[in-house]
Amino acid sequence: MDPENLEKEALDAAAEAGSLGALSDVRIRFLGRSSALKLALREVRDRETGMKLNAVKETVESVLDAREAELARAELEERLVTERVDVTLPAQLLGPPKLRPRGTLHPSTLVRRDVEDIFLGLGYEIVDGREVETTRYNFDALGFPEWHPARSPRASLFLDDHTVLRTETSPAQIHKMEERRPPIYMVSIGRVYRRDTIDATHFPIFHQFEGLAIDQGITMADLKGTLLYVMRQLYGPERELRFRTHYFPFTEPSMEPDVSCFNCGGAGCPICKHSGWIEMGGSGMVDPYLYEFVGWGPEEYTGFAFGMGIERTAQLRYGITGIRPFWDNDLRFLRQFR
Amino acid sequence: MRVPLSWLREYVHVDATTDEIVDALSISTAEIDGVERVGPPGELGLFRVGHVLEAAKHPDADRLQLTSVDVGEDRPYSIVCGAWNFGAGAKVAVALPGATLPNGLVLERRKLRGELSEGMILAEDELDLGTDHTGIIVLDDGLEPGTPLADALPLVDEVLDLDPTGNRPDLFAVYGVAREVAALLGGELQPMPGKDPARDGDEPVGVGIEDPEGCLRFIGRIFRDAELGGSPLWLKARLRHAGVRAISNVVDVTNYVMLALGSPLHAYDLDLLHGGLVARRARKGEKVRTLDGEERTLSPEDLVIADSERPVGLAGIMGGEETEVSETTRNVLLEAANFEPIGILRSSERHALRTEGSNRWEKGVDPYVAGPAATYASQLIVELSGARWTGAEDVQAAMPKPATIRLRPERASGLIGLEVPESEQAAILAPIGFDRLKRGYRVPTWRARDVTREVDLIEEVARFKLPEVPFTLPRREAMFGRLTRSQRLRRLVEDALVGAGYAEAYTPSFVAEGDLRLPEPLSSEAAALRTDLYASLLDPVRRNADAGIEDVALFEVARVYRGVGAALPEEHWHVSGIADGGFAEAKWAVEQIYSALGLDPVYERTNAPFLHPGKSARTAEGWLGELHPALLDGIWGAFELDLDALADSAPEVVAFDPVSPYPEVRQDLAFVVDEEVSAAELLAAIREAAGELLRELEVFDEYRGEQIGEGKRSLAFRLGFGSPEGTLTDEDVAPVRASIVDALAARFDAVLRA
Repeated sequence: MDPENLEKEALDAAAEAGSLGALSDVRIRFLGRSSALKLALREVRDRETGMKLNAVKETVESVLDAREAELARAELEERLVTERVDVTLPAQLLGPPKLRPRGTLHPSTLVRRDVEDIFLGLGYEIVDGREVETTRYNFDALGFPEWHPARSPRASLFLDDHTVLRTETSPAQIHKMEERRPPIYMVSIGRVYRRDTIDATHFPIFHQFEGLAIDQGITMADLKGTLLYVMRQLYGPERELRFRTHYFPFTEPSMEPDVSCFNCGGAGCPICKHSGWIEMGGSGMVDPYLYEFVGWGPEEYTGFAFGMGIERTAQLRYGITGIRPFWDNDLRFLRQFR
Repeated sequence: MRVPLSWLREYVHVDATTDEIVDALSISTAEIDGVERVGPPGELGLFRVGHVLEAAKHPDADRLQLTSVDVGEDRPYSIVCGAWNFGAGAKVAVALPGATLPNGLVLERRKLRGELSEGMILAEDELDLGTDHTGIIVLDDGLEPGTPLADALPLVDEVLDLDPTGNRPDLFAVYGVAREVAALLGGELQPMPGKDPARDGDEPVGVGIEDPEGCLRFIGRIFRDAELGGSPLWLKARLRHAGVRAISNVVDVTNYVMLALGSPLHAYDLDLLHGGLVARRARKGEKVRTLDGEERTLSPEDLVIADSERPVGLAGIMGGEETEVSETTRNVLLEAANFEPIGILRSSERHALRTEGSNRWEKGVDPYVAGPAATYASQLIVELSGARWTGAEDVQAAMPKPATIRLRPERASGLIGLEVPESEQAAILAPIGFDRLKRGYRVPTWRARDVTREVDLIEEVARFKLPEVPFTLPRREAMFGRLTRSQRLRRLVEDALVGAGYAEAYTPSFVAEGDLRLPEPLSSEAAALRTDLYASLLDPVRRNADAGIEDVALFEVARVYRGVGAALPEEHWHVSGIADGGFAEAKWAVEQIYSALGLDPVYERTNAPFLHPGKSARTAEGWLGELHPALLDGIWGAFELDLDALADSAPEVVAFDPVSPYPEVRQDLAFVVDEEVSAAELLAAIREAAGELLRELEVFDEYRGEQIGEGKRSLAFRLGFGSPEGTLTDEDVAPVRASIVDALAARFDAVLRA
C-alpha cells in the first residue's frame, strides 16, 4: 500500500462527497476499522513507516472534519431555505404562540414612570433629550469651568474633541431654553454616561431625572417645597427634607437635598449610614450664566434645577443593593417587579 | 481634608460640642464624611506620667530593663521595658494594667521572663502619635508622677473628615475651617498664627519669577545653622492625625503650615543649590528627579522651580530629590509661592502625580496667604531647629486686587424666598471676611475666585439660612404637564410587550464594532455606539437560558445611533425583543405592538444574515423572524422596530365606522393555492374583489394534505358582509362571493374547496 496514493485518494473522495451521508461512507472506507490504513497501522513494525502512516491518518482526519463542517453548514442553509413559512399569516396560525404569564417592566422603568407621573401632576413636561451632545451644550452652556474634571476624557466618554456622551441630562434644558421663553417647567430623563470601571456600585451608564423650573419670581423656597412634595410621593408622606450647601457649575446657590430616612425615620440605620438622612442628588437656583448663554437678561427670570438618579431611587425604594442587578437582566430578578 | 478638633479649637474658641460643629459645617460649609476618634479608645485614667525610680538590666534577659516607676500610687510599680533610651530619674508615659492601647491591646499584669510587669512604658507609635519605635517617650522633667498623661500629651483627639467642594480652596486649611466655625456658631476666631522671628542677617536670596502667569508670587527665606532632627511630639501627632507623614523638623514645619493656613511650602537644602531660584517654564528635554525617586521628563508646559543650572522641582507638585532637605542639611531655603491653578492641574495630570500641594494649588490658593505662611513657617523653623533667619525676599507679579460687589438685600431675600433683613445679611457676611463698604461688600482674597457676582454673595447669605427657608410651591400661570406623543406610544409598546409575556431588559449602549467609535473605548466589548438593540439582547437571553430559566422572553426600548455625516449622529428610539419559540413568537409580539398603535402593517419576506432565511419578514418599520441557528442555540423569535417611524405611521385619531343596526352575513371560504401565494396577497385580492359590502375579513385556517396535493395548501377565510341600508340576504352576497372566487382563480389559480 502506498501511503501517498492513499492520502490523495481519500482527499479526492472527501471533496467528491456531496452529502453528510456520503462523507460518512468515505470516512468508514478510509479510516474505519477494516480500512487499508488501519490495517497497515496495525501491522507496522518500523518507526519510519509508522510515522508516515500516522501523518496520513491525521491529514485525512482533518480534511474529513473540515469537509463535514462545510457540508453541515450547506445542509443547514439548504434545510433552512426549505423550512419556509408564509410570513403574512397571523401568529395564531403560525404557532400558535406560547401562552406566557404576564411580563414585567424593569425596576428603572417603574421608577421612571412614577417620576414622570409625579411631575406631570405638577404640570411639568417630560423631555428625553439627545444622548450624544456637543461639548458646547454638555459643558460650556452649563458653566463647567475649564479645570472641571468632567471635561477630561478620563471622566467622560468622547466621540471626538467636540462630541461627548452627555454626562448629565441638563443639555436638554438648554435646548428647551433656546426653543422658548419661560415659563418652563420640565423634567429631562434618560441615560447619562461616565467613564467608570464596572464594579459592584459603578457602571458607565446610569439614568437621571433632572427638573428645571424657570419663571418669574421662583425662589429657593419653591425648590424646597417642590422637592419635599416629590420626595413624599416617592418615599412616603412622613418624609422631611433638608438642604446642605454644595457646589455645581450650573446653579448658584447650590444645595444637596437630603430626605429623612424612610427606614429608621431618622434614628439612624445602615441605609442612612446612621445619619438619619439620605442624600438624594443635587439642586440649586439656575445660574444667571445660563440665561445669558441663551440670550436672556440675567434678571428677567429666576429658576431652580435639580437632578437625581433613577437607579439610586430604585435602590432605595426596592432595597436593591449595588448596580449589577440593573444591567444583569436576570429573569429571576426582573420577574419579581410586577 | 482631615481636621483634628484640638487644632481647630486652637484657632476658634467656641462652646459648641463636636456634634454641633459637625452639624453646622455639614449644612452650611462642606460635607463631613466622618468623625474619627484617635488615641486610646477606653479609660484614660490608666495613662499616667511615671517617674522612673530605678532601672536595671532584667536578671534573665539581656535586652530588657527592669524598672520601678512611681505612677502616683502609694507604691512604685514594677515594669519590664524593652527600650534603653532612659534610665532612673526619667519622666515617662505609662499605661497601667487594664488600659486599652489605640491598637486595641488590653494590658495585663503578667510575668516577663520571671519578673512581674505591671503595665507598659510607652513609645510614640504605641499611642498612635507617631511611627517611631526606637525608644520610649521621654517627657518633660517638670511633670509630677501620676499626672494624667492626657495633660502632658495630645493623647486623644477627634478628627473631622471634611470634603470641601472644588470652589472652596480656603477650606483646605484648618484656619479656614475655623473661620467657618466661628461664623456659624458664634465662636471667637483667633488671629492667624505666626510671628516673624528676629532676623539675624540680611543676605540676598535671589528668587525670581520668569513666568508671571504661572507664578504670582515667590517668597524666599534663608535659614542657617539649622539642626535637623525629629519634630516634637505635639507636631508629629497633629501631622499624623491629619494624615501626613512626619519626616524631619524642617520638612514637618512646611507641611504643618500648609495644613494650618492652606498655602503649600517647600524647603530646599541651600548648599545644594547653584545660585538663586526662579519660577519658569521647563525647557524641552529638561529632566528632574522628584522626591518619589521618579525621573520626569519635562515639557515646556510644566512650570518648574530652577536654580541657575537645572530644574530643582516640579512647581507646586513635588520637589526634586537632589536638593531635598536631609539629615545633613545645615542651611535651608524656604519657598512660599503662589501658583496658577490650571497649569498645576495639567502638569499633575501629565505626570500622573497628585500631592497635598497640587491638590491645593489646582483649586486656586489665595496669593495673599503666602506671606503669613512664610512668617509662621519661619517662626517654627527657628523654634524647632535653632536656625538663624538670615535672608528674605518677596517677589510679586500682578497680585489681584480685592473686588467689591454690590448686594441688593431685597434681591437676596427674593431669590432665597425668605425675608433676611439687610442688617442680618451684613452680620452673616462679616465673620467670613466680607467687609461692608459703601458700594458693596469687599470680597476676601481667599474667596476671590469663587465670589465674583451678586448671586455668589447671595449664596453666602443663603447657606447660613438653609434650615429656615420655608417650603413653598411656584405660583403658576401656565401648565404643560402631558407626555409627548412619542412618550405615550413608548409606554403603549412597553405595556403591549409586558402583556405578551416579555420582561424588560436594560442593556448598554455600546458594542464591539461600529462606525461611531469611541477613540478611547471602555473595553474591547464597548468600543462603539450601537445601531441596533437585538445584538445586545443575545447575551442576556443566552445567560438566562443557560441558567435553566424557561420561557425566556426579553425586550428593550432604547436609543440607537447612526452617523449621518453631520456633527451629531441621529438617535432613534427602537424596540427589540427575543423570545424562545421561533417565528410565531416574533410575529405575535409584533402584532401586539402594531395593534396597540392602531396599525395594520404589510409583512414582506426578507433576508438578513442573522435570521433564518425562510422565516424572516420585514415591515415598513423594522424586521421580525427566527434567529439564525448559528447565532444562538435553540429556536428563538426576534424582532426590532424603529419607534420613531412607528410614531410617524400611527394614526393620531381613531377612525371608526358607526355600528350597523343590521346583522352581518358570515361566510367561510377556503381556497387551494400554490405554496408561493401568500395569505396577504389573497386577502388583498379578496378585499379588492369584494367591494364595499365586505365588513370583516380574516384568515382562520391553513391546511396541507394529500387531498390538496404536493406544493399546495388550503387557506380558509372568514368574511363578514353588511350594509348600512338593511339586512343582507344570501342572494345579496352571492354575486360578491362569485366575483371573489373568479378574481382569485384568475390571479392565483385558486380553487375554491367545497
